[in-house]
Amino acid sequence: MEDKEESMKKDDGGEDILSSIESSSKQTRIFKIIVIGDSNVGKTCLTFRFCGGKFPEKTEATIGVDFREKTVDVNGETIKLQLWDTAGQERFRKSMVQHYYRNVHAVVFVYDMTKMNTFEGMPTWIEECERHSLSPDIPRILVGNKCDMNQKISVATSLAQKFADANQMPLFETSAKDDNEVDNVSAIFMTLAHKLKSQKPMMSNDYPVLHKYGSKEMKRAKVISIGREPSSRSAVCSRSTATSDGTSCSC
Amino acid sequence: MNSTRKSRTLTKKKPSDHLSPATRGASPCKIDGDSGRKIKLAAIHKALLSDPVDVATLRKLAISHGGLLNDELRRKAWPKLLNVNVFEIPPKPDADVTSHRDYHQVVLDVNRSLRRFPPGMRNDQREVLQEQLINVIVRVLLRNKQLHYYQGYHDICVTFLLVVGQDLAFALIEKLSTHHLRDFMDRTMDSTKHILNYLLPIIGKANPELREFMDRSTVGTVFALAWLITWYGHVLSDFRSVVRLYDFFLACHPLMPVYLAAAIVLHRETEVLSGECEMTYVHSLLSKIPQDLPFENLISRAGDLFVQYPPTALAKEARLQYKQSSTLSKHDEFEQTSLRQRPDTILRQRKKGKLTTSQLKDINKKEHSPVVKVAIWAITASVGAALFAVLNTAAEWM
Ligand SMILES: Nc1nc2c(ncn2[C@@H]2O[C@H](COP(=O)(O)OP(=O)(O)OP(=O)(O)O)[C@@H](O)[C@H]2O)c(=O)[nH]1
Ligand SMILES: [Mg+2]
Repeated sequence: MEDKEESMKKDDGGEDILSSIESSSKQTRIFKIIVIGDSNVGKTCLTFRFCGGKFPEKTEATIGVDFREKTVDVNGETIKLQLWDTAGQERFRKSMVQHYYRNVHAVVFVYDMTKMNTFEGMPTWIEECERHSLSPDIPRILVGNKCDMNQKISVATSLAQKFADANQMPLFETSAKDDNEVDNVSAIFMTLAHKLKSQKPMMSNDYPVLHKYGSKEMKRAKVISIGREPSSRSAVCSRSTATSDGTSCSC
Repeated sequence: MNSTRKSRTLTKKKPSDHLSPATRGASPCKIDGDSGRKIKLAAIHKALLSDPVDVATLRKLAISHGGLLNDELRRKAWPKLLNVNVFEIPPKPDADVTSHRDYHQVVLDVNRSLRRFPPGMRNDQREVLQEQLINVIVRVLLRNKQLHYYQGYHDICVTFLLVVGQDLAFALIEKLSTHHLRDFMDRTMDSTKHILNYLLPIIGKANPELREFMDRSTVGTVFALAWLITWYGHVLSDFRSVVRLYDFFLACHPLMPVYLAAAIVLHRETEVLSGECEMTYVHSLLSKIPQDLPFENLISRAGDLFVQYPPTALAKEARLQYKQSSTLSKHDEFEQTSLRQRPDTILRQRKKGKLTTSQLKDINKKEHSPVVKVAIWAITASVGAALFAVLNTAAEWM
């Protein structure tokens, strides 16, 4: 996997959605991934880390929704992952975030490994998805964040794994903060990208295709054959916590 | 009374290097030359000292170019705009702040609010203020059980804390929370959504093409959520712009932040229309506020829009049941009572019990003076004719 376009915004992780769309001349599929979980678990930091390559020193509470984007290469296809970083406070999820459950291609559930209550909140978030009638086929993953705080871990891997298995999700434990975990954070999102790419035949309106605004010939989505993807690196639904190399997360 | 004084000294000593009028150079507040500024300073002082306080004029001055000019004046004028008696600030509640249901969330948010403090501030100073911020917020919540904390409320409170100090901030925020911000503090955000529903209709009236484009993109209004519920405190990095906007909002109808949002979107029309007509694109474009917006012009524009398309004219389309909004339905009364305030000199004496009965009678007579007609807009040369509308405050704002 290689990441294209390292351009970063000053105050926000990731590529500038605006300029990247404008400069994108060839068609690129976009996958929309919603990131949800309780307040302060690190959703903003994780998405920033993946898209911007850095741990943000000063995050603030997310109010509403922020979008971050990263262009990645999945087996030769350039794909845009668009991460929807949502507000964690309950009141926002009820009336404001709703709007954004429509048309998402994948869901990332995040909890804080050092805070049991954020793990205990997971069923509510899963219900939330069900309430918005997200198709059960939509890839979902569970991420335990802040594994760098190893003195304070209060959600045991075995417990989280059991929950993940019961809900047919792969589990990842990682840290947005720890620089040694950068590859792991990428691997998590790349796993999703692989899964999404290989998932189903393309309908052009399922996966919108970027086009340069104003260009006369609106390019149509390529129909992707349902050929098998090299699946060796995919950790989807595997039991262990995975990294891109297939090694286990060390934390 | 003592505590008020103390807090003033504190704010003066601590954050004020950054906040003092002397550093206002980079701010958008530019009155025509020194003399214009002097005239305005004098006018503000005069309005504050008249009895009853000339709230109508104070409002005009807070709205017009440059707003209230400096934090010294804000400390005096903001309480008047909110009808808060600075000599009768409620005592701290005894209850333990950590016991409040929202305490935990408040702490999480305040801990992450580093950007809201002056850049050069020492860590230990900032930590003291953060502790105060938590206390102020939870004290308001403890005394008003009906109010629910929302993420972003802290972005408003920090501005008051930095300008007026913790005790007065408490009193101002309490008033604000039970009036202007009341709808945001319901148990759910349904009322907040209703308020946001005004945005597209305003844009649509002023620029149908832009509205149509936005509708087609299905962008919704969440891009403006943080603007509205933080009064722009969350999205503007220049503190001077933030306090300037607060002057404006404190002097205006509670829906004014939505009109300003409309003015900002309209200002960026070309950018929006020349971009992709797609939800995330438009959301990303609009939610990132350019930091160099011409705020004085936008304030004028917002006021213009308010006069041209008052809330009542939009209520149907916004599907907002006016009466059901506590913020809006209570605004009448707030308006009326705000116009009958004593200047500090009198309030201080009254507090000390120095006023004689005949003096009090005099004061009471004045309290029953007829409703003052208020020009809701400061009439300046740069402002269009629409702004000359002089409204009978309470009756026609609704
Ligand atoms: N030690 C450690 N701290 C982290 C990590 N990720 C995030 N944090 C810290 O956790 C806090 C919350 O991070 P955010 O990314 O703002 O949390 P969020 O989930 O976006 O929160 P909301 O926007 O309120 O929903 C911040 O103070 C981060 O510095 C991590 O991997 N390790
Ligand atoms: Mg966040």
